[in-house]
Amino acid sequence: MKTFELHLPRTIDEALALLERPGHAALAGGQDLLTELKEHIATPDALVDLSGIQGADAIELRADGSLSIGAGVTLAELEKHAELARRWPVLTEAATSIASAQIRSQATVGGNLCQRPRCWYYRNEALSCLKKGGTECLAYGGMNKYNAILGGGPSYIVHPSDLAPALVALDAEIEIASREPRGARRRIALASFFTLPAEGDVLRENVLAPGELVVAVHVPAHAAGNWRSTYLKFKERSSFDWALSAVALVARIDGARIAEARVVLGGVAPVPWRSKAAERVLAGRPIDDSAAREAGEAALAGAEPLSGNAYKVPLTKGLIVKALRAIGGRS
Amino acid sequence: MSRFPVLLQDEPKTPPAPGKKWQKVTVAENGQEVEKWIEVDAAATETWPARSEMRLLNHALPRVDGPTKVTGAAQYAHDMRAPGMVYARFLRCPKPAAKILSIDTADALKLPRVVAADSLNVERTSYLGQPIAVVAAETPDAAEDALRALRVEYGELGWVLTHERALADGAPQVFDKKPKEGESPSNRVAERKRGDRDASRAAVEAAPFWTEQIYSLPVQHHACLETHGLMVDFRGGTEAVVHASTQGTFTVHGDAAEALGLPGASVRANVQHMGGGFGSKFGLGVEGQWACELSKRLKRPVHLLLTRADEFLFAGNRSGAVQKLAGGMAADGTLLGLSAEVDKLGGVGSGSYPMQPYVYKVGQSYCAVSRVHTNTDSARAMRAPGHPQASFGIESLIDELAYAAGLDLLEVRKKNLEDTVYHRQLERAAREIGWFEHPHRSRPGSHQAERAVGIGFAVATWGGGGAPTCQVEIRIQRDGSVTTSCGTQDLGTGTRTYMAAIVAEVLGLPIAAVEARIGSSEYGSANPSGGSTTVASLAPAVLDATFQARARLFELLAPALQTQPESLRIGVDGLLDTGSGRRLDWKQACALLPAEGLRTNGQWKEAFQGRGVHGAQAAKVEVDTLTGHVRVLKMVAVQDCGIPLNRLALESQINGGMIQALSYALFEERILEPWLGAALSADFEGYKLAGTLEMPELVPLIDDADTRQVVIGMSEAAIVPGHSAIANAVHNACGVRVRDLPLTSDKVLMALEKLRTQS
Ligand SMILES: Cc1cc2nc3c(=O)[nH]c(=O)nc-3n(C[C@H](O)[C@H](O)[C@H](O)COP(=O)(O)OP(=O)(O)OC[C@H]3O[C@@H](n4cnc5c(N)ncnc54)[C@H](O)[C@@H]3O)c2cc1C
Repeated sequence: MKTFELHLPRTIDEALALLERPGHAALAGGQDLLTELKEHIATPDALVDLSGIQGADAIELRADGSLSIGAGVTLAELEKHAELARRWPVLTEAATSIASAQIRSQATVGGNLCQRPRCWYYRNEALSCLKKGGTECLAYGGMNKYNAILGGGPSYIVHPSDLAPALVALDAEIEIASREPRGARRRIALASFFTLPAEGDVLRENVLAPGELVVAVHVPAHAAGNWRSTYLKFKERSSFDWALSAVALVARIDGARIAEARVVLGGVAPVPWRSKAAERVLAGRPIDDSAAREAGEAALAGAEPLSGNAYKVPLTKGLIVKALRAIGGRS
Repeated sequence: MSRFPVLLQDEPKTPPAPGKKWQKVTVAENGQEVEKWIEVDAAATETWPARSEMRLLNHALPRVDGPTKVTGAAQYAHDMRAPGMVYARFLRCPKPAAKILSIDTADALKLPRVVAADSLNVERTSYLGQPIAVVAAETPDAAEDALRALRVEYGELGWVLTHERALADGAPQVFDKKPKEGESPSNRVAERKRGDRDASRAAVEAAPFWTEQIYSLPVQHHACLETHGLMVDFRGGTEAVVHASTQGTFTVHGDAAEALGLPGASVRANVQHMGGGFGSKFGLGVEGQWACELSKRLKRPVHLLLTRADEFLFAGNRSGAVQKLAGGMAADGTLLGLSAEVDKLGGVGSGSYPMQPYVYKVGQSYCAVSRVHTNTDSARAMRAPGHPQASFGIESLIDELAYAAGLDLLEVRKKNLEDTVYHRQLERAAREIGWFEHPHRSRPGSHQAERAVGIGFAVATWGGGGAPTCQVEIRIQRDGSVTTSCGTQDLGTGTRTYMAAIVAEVLGLPIAAVEARIGSSEYGSANPSGGSTTVASLAPAVLDATFQARARLFELLAPALQTQPESLRIGVDGLLDTGSGRRLDWKQACALLPAEGLRTNGQWKEAFQGRGVHGAQAAKVEVDTLTGHVRVLKMVAVQDCGIPLNRLALESQINGGMIQALSYALFEERILEPWLGAALSADFEGYKLAGTLEMPELVPLIDDADTRQVVIGMSEAAIVPGHSAIANAVHNACGVRVRDLPLTSDKVLMALEKLRTQS
């Protein structure tokens, strides 16, 4: 990898001051960034190591039922938190589904949300794809088994994060710190943090401006009621793998019926893909396969598979059926 | 190894010397299995003890070097360090084929800690990732930087990466060879033919049930945990040690000496532990050549172990195959005809394939094998070269015909297998997997079941015989210590353990009392470990050395005990003089030896080993029809091997075969970008290996009904049938026939979707 300078700031402000300089990149658990450095896909001059920043790694459960997760919390900490598992199984299941135990012990929430695409064209140093400033998405007419069926164009990556669909399904907000005006913090819906390639800068996957940092994600308290949730991820290889498709389902149950639901898909689009159409189908329906099948049809109605990924359509429909069964069997 | 053995000679016409007979043996030469005729003793006096009397052999022996491996104390070539050592790395050509117009090393040589940068002087590359330059530096990072500082000017050449493109009209030619008169150039080269094509096709088409299908398999990688390479410890003196990750201790040091410009006797190869080879690690290789070259010039030790990407791109692979098979079956299940046209995909090499029909007997058969070149690295031998490919073709075809004829899949196999050992093994596998309770044995299960369970079968064959290649020394010291040594190597198969166990068995000692020394070219010669020929070459020589050591012990002790050698016996109770009834324990007995102790040299004995193993496997899978996910629930392997020297090691080899086959069935596949000419699976993210969660219940069964009192190698056989059994089980479960491995969920799901829309 290219030789770099390493900075170890103790506060967010120090970090932000460093990140303002050209060629400086934030380093969290390094599980993604180090790979990019080793393969010369990212070539920063300096790394700003966030691991020493105080207070960035807290999980806060508030009395009002809301939850805040510091950007520096590791996936392993998230996965092991018993109260989280009880109240937000979708989040625990998403965290547990990621990579391997070794990687989860290092990888952070902030890094997971900001990680770069895994598309093999992007990750191959020798190839110049749209995501690296090239002129076309090589996956579009190429080997696209793992690429997007929804929301694609001009780039067809899928967003690699498993936490993202789960958090979007929980209506989470993301807190961003920037330097100007000094100490500014903004909170936006996580759903609007991620950008479709057709809408945002195709070189990036979110609205984070250079020099900005993610400091936390905030999950609002659920309205009163009986909430159930699950994250169902399908991996080609169970032992550890990326999602071929995933469903984050969060629902409020009223008696035997679904009062309201969030359906967010992972592994099928350049962003965590919320399907309001599927949510509308589910609202007011009993938890059964026919509701799930209709929701699946609605969610995938706009799918435009590429030459090698049509399987993602029936796969995702199947996962929606399974996800609904999973919450049906849960109290 | 790379095909059914190549028979080089006919049986000699001249009569053998008195007391000798002619015997056909198999030797592995450069990873290829070759048959030869040699003279052997007509009769052996004493042979292996009866299995019922064995105390150590035929039992489960934990490997003697297990503790050093699990504690990390075992040193592999990768671990070797020496003062002043430098790290070398190759630059790979990023194109499948290119002219190398120039390589400028000046910038690289200016970098700190960089000590060498050389062009390999390749004018035209012929495969993706071919090494074209080498650098050496004092740290691995500096070597990586040096690679990036090389300035290479490439010239365009045409190339092809896939079977389809290689055979397209006007395809660029991998080799620019002049075609024969009247022929146009082609990347397809016909190799072998057997049988009458027209008669076989006629037999197929006249059969009541017949089909023609294409069965294909991807290129598989050896995926050795330790990459290829070595550390050459030469510091400018008169001697060198080569620490190599190799399957042949003696395949390295000779060429290394030549490359270093040293006398052969001054270079020693050291192979104490090696991290997997599976057929890919013979000889010095381009890495060894350059490590020696650089070491000679720099007068410094050189560490040249390939990177994982190097390993995936130029360290060999199992050739892919595209097999067009047409088969015909009678109503009673008899295979009446088979026509096979097979393309091997061995890159710039040849690849491997035994002929069809593989194992099964067919009335009229025809088989033509060609190779189709692409601009990828040459295939190398890989565990049972060619057999898994042929197995997948014939076993799939038999299943398809059996379903068409409405016959039981187990009975159909037995019907077409002449050797009844297979009947016994298949029946045992069937019982163990639950075949006789399985609800659908002659038709597939329904794709409408959400969790569809199916069972499949397949069989194997292998040689596994030995040859007179090993010299084994046994030394017994006056303090009672015993060593057995041979320069052979242990690929993880447990060589040290059985070497010690054989000696201990015969001398009545505990296994810990015998030290096995291997992995040095200073010890007695040994064959490279290829084609499962190690055990049948080595174990006989160990047994012979032990018999000789015992005889020599009796000779030396008899005078001191005032008795005759013939009246001495040795066993777990020590030494017994049957004349006087006097007993000495082992230490007391050895104390009577002369100061230099005793030494013997053992030779291979034909009668101590045999050849020819079978093997049957069954797999049970569950298909999730909502997602296409295939979960292997259970695999059973029944394997013969003559005398089971170490039951634990055997079971471990059988398990390893099943696991490798499972991984091949479900995931493994070299993925190349056919239009841009890039490798997409040159790491363990893109090249998927089965992991812990994929592991089914594994039932390795040693076929004890094989009572041959000889030692036979079997490791290759264990990898042959598993993937075929899994593919057949998937079809049996839900009616989906995937004819191109791997059986990834996307293919299974799309096939299920097709069935759903049809019904
Ligand atoms: C083999 C393997 C398998 C994997 N499988 C999965 C999987 O199945 N599902 C999944 O979701 N992920 C998977 N991952 C990705 C892994 O979860 C991420 O790499 C990890 O979460 C990144 O976190 P990190 O803390 O290591 O981030 P880093 O690698 O340190 O950073 C990643 C990126 O985020 C930026 N960044 C980090 N923190 C911040 C911050 N606070 N503010 C702004 N920018 C920031 C960095 O600059 C960098 O660009 C896998 C990774 C590997 C190596």
